[in-house]
Amino acid sequence: MAVISNTLIAGFNDPVQDAQQVFRAALKAMSEPGTLMACSFTKEAPEGLDNSSWQLALTLFDADTKVWLSPALAQNDAVISNLRFHCQCPLIDNTAEADFALCNADELPFLADFNWGNAEYPDQSTSLIVQVPAISDEPFWTLTGPGIETQRSLRIAGLPEHFRADLIRSRQRFPLGIDTFYCCGDQLVALPRTTQIEEAC
Amino acid sequence: MYVAVKGGEKAIDNAHALMRSQRRGDSKVAELSVEQIRQQLPLAVDRVMNEGSVYDPELAALALKQASGDAVEAIFLLRAYRTTLPRFGYSEPLDTENMQIERRISGTFKDLPGGQILGSTYDYTHRLLDFALLAEGEAPSSPAEGSCTEAGELEDSLCELEACPRVLELLNKEGLIEQSRQPGEADETPRDLTREPVNYPAERAVRLQNLIRGDEGFLLSLSYAAMRGYGDSHPFAGEMRTGRVSVELVPEELGFPIEIGEVLVTESEMVNQFHGSKEQPPQFTRGYGLAFGRAERKAMSVALVERALRAGELGEEVLYPTQDQEFVLSHTDCVSANGFVSHLKLPHYVDFQSELEMIRRLRREIDTGESSARQANESSEEDNRR
Amino acid sequence: MNAATATGYNFAYLDEQSKRMIRRAILKGVAIPGYQVPFGGREMPLPHGWGTGGMQVTASVIGEADRLKVIDQGADDTTNAVSIRRFFASTAGVETTEQTADATLIQTRHRIPERALQENQILIYQVPIPEPLRFIEPRESETRKMHALSEYGAMQVKLYEDVARFGHIATSYDYPVMVNGRYMMDPSPIPKFDNPKMDMMPALQLFGAGFEKRIYAVPPYTKVESLDFDDYPFEVQSWEENCSICGSNHSFLDEVIIDDAGSKMFVCSDTDYCRERVAQQENPA
Repeated sequence: MAVISNTLIAGFNDPVQDAQQVFRAALKAMSEPGTLMACSFTKEAPEGLDNSSWQLALTLFDADTKVWLSPALAQNDAVISNLRFHCQCPLIDNTAEADFALCNADELPFLADFNWGNAEYPDQSTSLIVQVPAISDEPFWTLTGPGIETQRSLRIAGLPEHFRADLIRSRQRFPLGIDTFYCCGDQLVALPRTTQIEEAC
Repeated sequence: MYVAVKGGEKAIDNAHALMRSQRRGDSKVAELSVEQIRQQLPLAVDRVMNEGSVYDPELAALALKQASGDAVEAIFLLRAYRTTLPRFGYSEPLDTENMQIERRISGTFKDLPGGQILGSTYDYTHRLLDFALLAEGEAPSSPAEGSCTEAGELEDSLCELEACPRVLELLNKEGLIEQSRQPGEADETPRDLTREPVNYPAERAVRLQNLIRGDEGFLLSLSYAAMRGYGDSHPFAGEMRTGRVSVELVPEELGFPIEIGEVLVTESEMVNQFHGSKEQPPQFTRGYGLAFGRAERKAMSVALVERALRAGELGEEVLYPTQDQEFVLSHTDCVSANGFVSHLKLPHYVDFQSELEMIRRLRREIDTGESSARQANESSEEDNRR
Repeated sequence: MNAATATGYNFAYLDEQSKRMIRRAILKGVAIPGYQVPFGGREMPLPHGWGTGGMQVTASVIGEADRLKVIDQGADDTTNAVSIRRFFASTAGVETTEQTADATLIQTRHRIPERALQENQILIYQVPIPEPLRFIEPRESETRKMHALSEYGAMQVKLYEDVARFGHIATSYDYPVMVNGRYMMDPSPIPKFDNPKMDMMPALQLFGAGFEKRIYAVPPYTKVESLDFDDYPFEVQSWEENCSICGSNHSFLDEVIIDDAGSKMFVCSDTDYCRERVAQQENPA
């Protein structure tokens, strides 16, 4: 499918410096799991993308990363045209081959469908970016693990029950696993595969 | 007298200034131009292009000038420049069958279609210093010194010759040599080792890329070792050809190949014995090398080492370093090797201090251990005496 | 126009595509603490083994708001530290500092600063050989398997051979650690004196091995244990002498030979820490 030019929007104002700052936000989010970060280096995102997931895409996607989109995003001209134009990333149909997956929370496939890497190269796994309706530090999940001095609380709205259960269970398969970013508006939070999650009942 | 090395800033500035003046030499002697290096030291330029992985004789000559003629330093300069270049695309495979040949020899056949073409070579020169060059005289320009060859003959021998078939294809027609690609094997785009790290075991295309960027001296010695018995190598020089080949690219917007230029390359195809395996009948196998410019030593060394590295996949026993891909491929790169060896010149005094402390402690412990053992001995002897 | 655009190279030398590739590798490294992520290491304009891995990590992480400190052997004014600091000052135009407390990024070779690092600081190690098992097993294909299976017995045997021979472990630097109880990691050739500082450090620790093309990481507040045995616990070196400049009795000391007769004095290897202590002694707050 070709790029549809009337859906194209501007990317970063300063691609070098803005990408660096978004990366640092992503790095802090990933190294201090559950810490809420804000990214506002783009004025707008393509219709259908949160501002923070759009900025992550501009920062991390390129011709070397295979990207899977959840169904509503994959059918959205604005999303695919802008990803193709700004990132040149190949868009693929098979979750198991994805370097990155960009999903709406209500469209999340089973965690097992993604690439988990293998014992010798656990880094070859899919990185998952999920767009969710709300993120806060209200107590719901209690997080522990590397990057967390004692514990941290986090609440992510809109995640399907199967996904939450699978994510919590997936910790047993470490070092295999799926590293996740959650995006809502300008907000960004990450849970790497090392974070232990305890769910309040 | 010991002077602690401090004040790095000034020291570095001075070192650079000294280096620049040393490079220039006596200013009464005319400065060497990049174009002179390019024209008159072309084999040095070719080596720098090969290991620097950039086909650009002018920049390679500049690197040689800047590096005071140190090939490894020049290669490093070119590599560091190369890294920053944007990548526009990947060319189509070179068609060396259609090479405009300037030199072509085969050790396996007395004569062959297209003929043996000696071209320009040092091979049959007597290595006698030519004092005429010292006297800054021009070298004789006739191809056959002292003979009455017509000038026209030189031009004939230099003119570009017709494309001719590769020698190994003659063996291929009889099925006596392996196919370079197995039947049904797809023509996959090779992985680019300058973009991705090598994972072991590495496929053949990655091994070849690595070897062609590899240090000429290291590869030469490895192939020498393989021929001397450390590697089960019994090669024939099937064919060596040097000449110009056109480079084609398929731009996305056109969808068909266009010629974007041509490169001078040297290609070496080695024929090796193979005694056959359960799956395959006895046949000859290939070792392949391709290098920029006139670089026969390099192309042959690559072909020999490349073949030795195929031992594992051909079911031969892997016994020697030359056949061991992790050993060979991890150590070919002169930029890496030079960097790591030379990094010993950096300060290591913190680690050395740790070792000093450890050695002193161990020696103290041995001393006290010995003396307490002696005391224990003495006291037990005393006990015995009592 | 900043200094970076003036040189004709991209901000911090590397092109954006290379930075993206390295950034992705860093994120994976952080997500799998202590695991060596292969990355497409680029040629840097400094020789391999001189800090190109650390420089590639720094180049991918650094921004205009950062203040960079570079140390080699703990000192800011060793030639290699000067050279790398200048490289980033000229290609990224960032502010540099010699003060540990002031720096947002610290690139280091062979030391961890004495002053405890804080949250929001990033410590970037230059690593020559990232594989802790390399001198036990030279083949990458084998060491990969050993990490995959957590098969670390060979290292325990090597350390125990020391115990059998010398009565204690005789590795004094480059001393292997276990990260988060899973991966054995090479802490780079820091003296084992520095190993305890890695444990539960509030700062993020990133490791770059340029010519081995590996990146790895330890997130903040992550367990890092030095290998040892129940009956032969890990211990760090100590000195009978104090620093001749600041009097410190708890920092790593360099031995400086001061005359032809071999007389010695001992001074802090961390020059900024020593300076800070002297300043405090002169002007107690």
